[in-house]
Amino acid sequence: MDHDLGPAGPGWLVALETSGLGESLRQSVWLYPLVEITHILGFALLVGAILAFDLRLIGIRAPLLPADALARLLLPVAVTGFALAVPTGFLLFTTEATALARNPAFLAKLGLIVLALLNILAFHGLVGRRMAEWSLADRPPPGARFVGAASLALWVGVLACGRLIAYL
Amino acid sequence: MTHARPLALAALLSASLAWPAAAHHGWGGYESGQEMTLTGTVQQIAFNNPHAMLNLQAGGKVWHVVLAPPSRMSTRGLPADSIKPGQTVTVVGYPAKSDPAELRAERITAADKTVELR
Repeated sequence: MDHDLGPAGPGWLVALETSGLGESLRQSVWLYPLVEITHILGFALLVGAILAFDLRLIGIRAPLLPADALARLLLPVAVTGFALAVPTGFLLFTTEATALARNPAFLAKLGLIVLALLNILAFHGLVGRRMAEWSLADRPPPGARFVGAASLALWVGVLACGRLIAYL
Repeated sequence: MTHARPLALAALLSASLAWPAAAHHGWGGYESGQEMTLTGTVQQIAFNNPHAMLNLQAGGKVWHVVLAPPSRMSTRGLPADSIKPGQTVTVVGYPAKSDPAELRAERITAADKTVELR
């Protein structure tokens, strides 16, 4: 490992990393942990709410917990979490943009987020649109169960890759 | 010589930026059975998040020493500017398995003050 060269990589990454924003975050004693805390709070809300809803999609407690009612509680929580996690994630990215851009765990995390968002779009565009019809069904339709299982796997994957960034 | 300070600062800054934070978390990447004590001269220090680091000239080579987050360093008595290039410090720690010149410090003695980093 070479410890004496400047940040290397595409210009925009170097510019981002050497920007005042990146520099103040690295130098700040408490701002950086505050951003980290907000990022963690964001993805705790996001992934926690989504995983709970996924379990319902798969069929856990299906007749007891109407899917549409549960969605009214959990989906805004997930959206709030997303709104906290994304900007704070971007701030953390600026502190080490050049290293993160070639970190395999970070790249895998971004890829999994894209797949997980596509999965959400698929749900809301297809089986989710008819949620009222199966909201109290003992066994949710196959589409809902598939989306729920995929979402579970994808978001756990996002979480795992996020944590592994520091190790690869 | 009016430009010397900004230039030195820029050089230090760019060097500090090159230190990847990856692979510094946790202790699995370090030889925990091989405790080392290094006394030497600080060449560069980056008091940065996610953790402070310094380059230490000791034992005929330059060691890359990983310290604690700036907040913890400050809380335990070594705030920013308490360690400067040219200063002599002693670190006790473990060498990295993957990098023969990297040491993760357990404690540092600087300016007559010993601070536990874990």
